[in-house]
Amino acid sequence: MSDMAVSARSFRLATVPGVAVVLVALLLVFAIAAPGFTSLPNLSNVLMQSTILLMLALPMTLIIMTEGLDLSIGAVLTLASVVLALVVVSTGSMLLGLGAGLAVGVAFGVVNGGLVAHLGIPPFVATLGTLGAAQGLALIVSDGQSVVGIPREVRMIYSGTFGGIPIPVIIAIVVYLAFHGLLYHTRFGTYIPALGGNREALKLAGIRDTRVLVAVYALGGFMAGLAALLLTARMSSGHPTAALGMEFDAIAAVAVGGTSFERGNGWLFGTLLGVLAVGVLRNGLNLLALPSSVQVACIGVLVILALFIDALRSKP
Amino acid sequence: MTAAFEPAWEPPPMVTPEPTPLLELRGISKTFPGVKALDDVSFAVWPGEVHMLLGENGAGKSSLMKVLCGAYRPDGGAFFHRGQQVEITGPADARRLGIAVIFQEFSLVPYLDIAQNIFLGREFPGRIPGTVDTRRLHAEARRVLDQIGMDIDTRTLVHTLGVAQQQMVEIAKALSQNARILVMDEPTAALSDRETERLFAMVRKLQADGVALVYISHRMAEVFELGDRITVLRDGRKVGSVLPAETNADDLVRLMVGRVVDTTYGRDFCTAPGDVVLDVRGLTAETGITDVNLTVRAGEIVGLCGLVGSGRTEVARAIFGADKVVSGEVRVFGKLRSGGPEQAARSGIALIPESRKTQGLALIRSVGDNLLVSALGRLFPSGVFQPGLARREADDLVQRLRIATPNSRRTVKVLSGGNQQKVVIGKWLAAQAQLFIFDEPTRGIDVGAKAEIFALIDGLVKAGAAVLMISSEQSEIVHVCDRAYVMRAGRVAGELARADLTEENIVRLGMHQ
Repeated sequence: MSDMAVSARSFRLATVPGVAVVLVALLLVFAIAAPGFTSLPNLSNVLMQSTILLMLALPMTLIIMTEGLDLSIGAVLTLASVVLALVVVSTGSMLLGLGAGLAVGVAFGVVNGGLVAHLGIPPFVATLGTLGAAQGLALIVSDGQSVVGIPREVRMIYSGTFGGIPIPVIIAIVVYLAFHGLLYHTRFGTYIPALGGNREALKLAGIRDTRVLVAVYALGGFMAGLAALLLTARMSSGHPTAALGMEFDAIAAVAVGGTSFERGNGWLFGTLLGVLAVGVLRNGLNLLALPSSVQVACIGVLVILALFIDALRSKP
Repeated sequence: MTAAFEPAWEPPPMVTPEPTPLLELRGISKTFPGVKALDDVSFAVWPGEVHMLLGENGAGKSSLMKVLCGAYRPDGGAFFHRGQQVEITGPADARRLGIAVIFQEFSLVPYLDIAQNIFLGREFPGRIPGTVDTRRLHAEARRVLDQIGMDIDTRTLVHTLGVAQQQMVEIAKALSQNARILVMDEPTAALSDRETERLFAMVRKLQADGVALVYISHRMAEVFELGDRITVLRDGRKVGSVLPAETNADDLVRLMVGRVVDTTYGRDFCTAPGDVVLDVRGLTAETGITDVNLTVRAGEIVGLCGLVGSGRTEVARAIFGADKVVSGEVRVFGKLRSGGPEQAARSGIALIPESRKTQGLALIRSVGDNLLVSALGRLFPSGVFQPGLARREADDLVQRLRIATPNSRRTVKVLSGGNQQKVVIGKWLAAQAQLFIFDEPTRGIDVGAKAEIFALIDGLVKAGAAVLMISSEQSEIVHVCDRAYVMRAGRVAGELARADLTEENIVRLGMHQ
């Protein structure tokens, strides 16, 4: 009997290679076509730039596993970045700034979760609403201007290294491991596939499903707040359109990574590969001097390609 | 047609019941608006006993299960656990009393592994707060699986398991909660013969361990093979509680059916049917129906019956081209039918689906819009909509069908169930259909409107149409149909001519033997 049903580990490797195929193909194509792509500084740059996206894509994976969606995550990141910059500039304290950014993120996450879990508003609509609210607020509190004068200690968070490794990469590794532990080794993580896969079973097991759902969205907001620190440090400013449309890249990375939007089927490592694929694609197209508009179109193609490969493999 | 009905069974081991039952229900009643789902039902199980629960569709089995697991709160009656009166006001109470229910729809999470599913909501805490002691989780899951003889890796994701294995996981989940009373709803419905044997072996093992089992079944053979006691429900009432040794399959069928004959739907039966309108040969579809053969002639109402899940609706959908046909052919007026629902509608077939609200009507549109939606091509061949003509056409249909609505502009949503059903029929009349397939035409319709719907259907065949009618209510089939086919497990189990068309024959053919 056990030879018929495949174990969890080998199952994942067997069904989610689409993203790996796509990533390897992209690396090969750009290594040949884009001059300077394989240089160490450039590859390091790809990693650095992918860190912010990863911090959005990881919670997005969990949200999508609940059969949800968070369209507001890019706008919340923007708002958190502007607020963080304002607080840092006026108080000179990075910790206070980070605290403010996290508070903004969590507040929006809780609102998203509340709208979805308690009012039953479809996630697409609920987070489309908060997207508008967060983007508007970012423009209001910044008066439409970049918030400049970010102190060096904040900028070092992005440009500094620790033991020769860029600090953002270290943060990203820590965050990834934390998410891995959270999803696969905690009670909270166990309930996430249940929210998407069989919410009734969770209720019958005596778990307050709405509370878990709100927490998942709140985690998304929290991560947007944390990513705001990296974004502000990287831009040396809080810019009111800094992360415009980044939810697109995040959702695309999750989809490319093989997380299905149904039944609580998600894969965290696939999201990591998906983030890298999106990062490599954007970087390579940059090197080829193709404009951002073309990059968006290519990411769209990337999503379809990865899912196409998965569909081909799952159908005999 | 009366098949030999000698179930192969050995006398079951006689249990000597302890003086007090493990669980006893006394006088349980549950009323929903308009329906008495359970009426003064008393019921008891003893440890180590398999108590078979029988009844037709809608007899009250599912309601009783829901009461047992705490999903429904009964309006009246009392529960006794080992002789002590107890309350079951919610799932938590049921669980505390050791009652576990395994529904046909599983309560499993597809992308969690077996161990996580078994202990969902009861994870073993790890050293760090919030974490799960995964090692212990799998060790405990292993222990439970060993108990039921399931030698599969506890890390297997549940969605990769077959139905039988998922059922095992459900049982393991129940046992891990120290269930002493296990309720199973048609557990063998989706199992192969080999899987069924394994399940039976496990049922006997649980029985030997002193677990009380309530087992709902439609299969006579297993009723006698496993049952220590048999309770039959009919129309929400308990009509009998017997020991297998004191009864036989025929008696049980009679108990299940035996309702008072209701003659409100009498009609003049068709004595001289016309040409063959629908001819189905060897129809096999991906949905599980196999080698279905049937014919319907002009002027006939032909019934299609069988238990829920026997493939009745699937036959209708395959005829209509809504599901993919693997092999076999469907001829309408002698012409081979091909293509999807659109072609079917154009060739004069009307499918009046079971859930008219979701499949047959645009609820927020007007009566007129709904009536004419399939006839637009015929009424307006040029493609230009003419409101005046549409109005006249719709008003005409409203009158002919006696749809109770002030005018044809009223939205369909506000009409009663019977009138909505008339709108669906009218829609196909407007489209000039010649073959009508009704799937549960009277579901959710009150008694008065039922007679009117049947009069309407009678009118259709009197005007030369042919009708295939699916119904779970055997009395309707018996009183309305000229002939009937009985489905069982995706196949036509038999055909009943008018003279043989009785409820008992339908049940006999429809039951698994």
